[in-house]
Amino acid sequence: MSIRTSMKQSFKTLVGVLAFTLAASVSAKVEVDAPAPGFTLTNSMGESVSLSDFQGQYVILEWTNHLCPYVKKHYDSDNMQMLQRKYTEQDVVWLSIISSAEGKQGYVSADEANELTTSRNAVPTHVLFDTSGVVGKQYSAKTTPHMYIIDPAGELKYAGGIDSIKSANPADIPKADNYVDMGMSSLLSGGEVEKKLTPPYGCSIKYQS
Amino acid sequence: MLSTRFFKLSAAISSLLMLSLLFALLSAFTSVSAHATESLERPDLSSFAAQQYATGPHIEVFLLHSKTTLVPGENIELGVLFMPEAQWHTYWRNPGDSGEAPTIKWQVEQALSFGDIQWPLPKAIPIAHLVNYGYEGANLLMVEVDIPEVIDRSMLNDKQELKITADVSWLVCKEDCIPGWATLSMHLPVAQSSEPSVHSELFEKTKTLLPSSQIKSGLFEITDNAVVFEVNGLSEQQWKLFPFRSDLVNHASTQNLIYSEDATRIIVPRSDYFNGKAQSLGWLMSDGKQGFYVNGVINAGAASDEAEASALSASQVLVFMLMAFAGGLILNLMPCVLPILSIKAMALHSTQQGLSHKLAYLFGVLFCFNLFAAIIVILQQSGQQVGWGFHMQEPAVVVVLAFLFTLIALVLLDALAVSSRLSNVGSSLVSGDSPGAHFATGTLAVIVASPCTAPFMAAALGVALVSEPYITFVLFNALAIGFALPLTLLFLSKKAMSYLPKPGPWMETFKHALAFPMFATVAWLCWVFAGQMGAQAQFALLLALILFCMFIWLLGRSSSGLGKTVNSAGVLASIALPIWLSVTGTLAVSNGAASANSALPFVEFNQNTLKQLRDDNQVVVVNMTADWCITCKVNEQVAFSSDEVRAALKQNNVNYMVGDWTNKNDEILQYLSQYERAGVPLYVIYAGNKNKQVLPQILTPNTVINAIKQAKEDL
Repeated sequence: MSIRTSMKQSFKTLVGVLAFTLAASVSAKVEVDAPAPGFTLTNSMGESVSLSDFQGQYVILEWTNHLCPYVKKHYDSDNMQMLQRKYTEQDVVWLSIISSAEGKQGYVSADEANELTTSRNAVPTHVLFDTSGVVGKQYSAKTTPHMYIIDPAGELKYAGGIDSIKSANPADIPKADNYVDMGMSSLLSGGEVEKKLTPPYGCSIKYQS
Repeated sequence: MLSTRFFKLSAAISSLLMLSLLFALLSAFTSVSAHATESLERPDLSSFAAQQYATGPHIEVFLLHSKTTLVPGENIELGVLFMPEAQWHTYWRNPGDSGEAPTIKWQVEQALSFGDIQWPLPKAIPIAHLVNYGYEGANLLMVEVDIPEVIDRSMLNDKQELKITADVSWLVCKEDCIPGWATLSMHLPVAQSSEPSVHSELFEKTKTLLPSSQIKSGLFEITDNAVVFEVNGLSEQQWKLFPFRSDLVNHASTQNLIYSEDATRIIVPRSDYFNGKAQSLGWLMSDGKQGFYVNGVINAGAASDEAEASALSASQVLVFMLMAFAGGLILNLMPCVLPILSIKAMALHSTQQGLSHKLAYLFGVLFCFNLFAAIIVILQQSGQQVGWGFHMQEPAVVVVLAFLFTLIALVLLDALAVSSRLSNVGSSLVSGDSPGAHFATGTLAVIVASPCTAPFMAAALGVALVSEPYITFVLFNALAIGFALPLTLLFLSKKAMSYLPKPGPWMETFKHALAFPMFATVAWLCWVFAGQMGAQAQFALLLALILFCMFIWLLGRSSSGLGKTVNSAGVLASIALPIWLSVTGTLAVSNGAASANSALPFVEFNQNTLKQLRDDNQVVVVNMTADWCITCKVNEQVAFSSDEVRAALKQNNVNYMVGDWTNKNDEILQYLSQYERAGVPLYVIYAGNKNKQVLPQILTPNTVINAIKQAKEDL
């Protein structure tokens, strides 16, 4: 068995060990099928809105930045508004969250936010401001759009991209699998979400730091 | 006249062989020369038709060609040059955390075949909290295009030009991103000859920025919070790993590289979006100047969320079979094999024998490869990871091969006296014309081929070695058939034989010339031996080889019975000495640093002992490991070899217990399943019966020390 011994030797002979430091991950870990982090944010009407207000209802979170080409892809094509109409009509809560810091792309005042909702025919339940980025980082939100589904028991059921084709081209929308639509319809008909985590795509969220 | 021409031919062939060997050696010793990192220059717009050029916000895009014309039957490089403004960037094939890779869709009304985009080495570009992979400044994405022999002239315009269109999409980003689309086109004349175009320099510069064409094979393991990669043969530099999949790892995290003699291991925290399922992964290793693509397969038996068998689909098996077959064919040309096979081919005279006679060589090759496969499967079943050429890890085998190659070289040089028995054995092995001799040549050819690896072989064998036993056999047989094919064709077909040059005096010269690649192989084997046993042992081996030659020479000259006996004994003794040295390890230089584990006192894992220690209110640190587990090696190198951890483990009432799962056994499997694990590593720290902590699969010294501290407090 000297083959084995010589293999062992070569395995165990160290030449060098280079800087080994476990980097703390930048943001919290997203965990599906676990309780979604709670939050309280101010909406575009100046009211305080908490996740806990919606216990017993499905909640969809949409991270947004109206100047991002990937967000434009889904708004200019009416894809995002279509989803908002489809699910808010079925008593699902839709929260559009803006985590852009003041002075960065996508940051808007409350009036501008309301004006965007009207001009784009959008129907979110609330538009929420997360200027400090705390909630975005709690959810490990990376891009706009970045989508989440929370069930009536407050558990996170989906986190990830809006659909399966990473592009800014509206022509790809009909060809793509819409993960939010698929997940939500499955949940509403008593099923499970098939793909619970998908890589989000889009512009980086313009956090304060 | 004829003989001098053949002499020149054979001299040329043998010097080519030596050259190729030298190149192989050189590339093994020196890393690829550093690339020039000068930026690409903006092309002169006056040389462009309007359709060949587009602008978008913050970027200009050009469609370029490397040659002036399209020549039927040849190839050309086409490319799209992206020139973003300063501080803006475009993306690699995996854009990283955000962004999007550019796409190029080619359209042409001819059967041109477009290759894949050849991506230059990317840079990791940090954008706030994210990391993107891409290119700052100009970059050319080029593809190689094969032009068919026959061009359909009706599709050309009046000037005999062909229109080539590229639908290009891109995303250009600083912090904000702007997508763009353009349809670019150009007309290229079809002609019988071509010259480098005005932009050929851009293509040449870009080629220096591409990863090496040599693809390495690697392994990976998926742990609860990280992906651990292993690549062999990387020099100690600041490498960075760029995965092809964007949802695999956390791009913004620090990558930890651990170098050891046998491999480089890279640990990268897992992406939240990775579902933990992958049988094979591709990635790029780059130090910014040079790079390698790596084809990785999952380390069989290692820790993964789900212990799924690595089942290959039928089509994958077929592809790997083809690769093994091609590898076998190419193996014929390797410097260690070619001389023997050329002699065999030259010595073929008649093709009148029966079929079994003709196929004896093929059987010899098949026999030997199947024997190899069987040994590998048996070793694997006993829990060891072995590869092609695994026997080269054994110094005694290296010694035997060195003598074998020296003997073959002597036979080739006609240095063995004609009358001697050795000479008969030697020449019949190589050039005899009986079924037995053909079978022996087949076996010998595989043995001398075993230190060599041909292109395509590595990937196919990599798969063979981690798959089900029957796939191992299937792939080894595909390799064997490819290897045996050229010579078997010569045996079977008169027509093939007629292509061989006519025998003549030149054959002698050719045969002598072929001895030198053999000697070169001996030199390489001595170098391998020196790596295993040290310079002193290598010196002894070299002396023994020279003695071996001397006794063989004396044997040929001695006429008396006594002289023959003495000299035969000398031949045997000169072989026996270095084998004895390598088996006993005499003269071997110890490799310095003793292993971390062997110096650390530990208790062998056993459920009863564990129970007893816990009942005695002891702290027990259980380490479930295996020789083939990459993550375990990393932890042993990083955490368990640190002085603090070793001190902590040596404290009173702290017991270090190691379970070795190298040769999987039921007791450990049962223990692993208690913790819902299908594989190693697993680290559990018990505070008697009061508490237990399961440590993460990737350890740092502090994790272990704090866990032990915690356990002591719990007691």
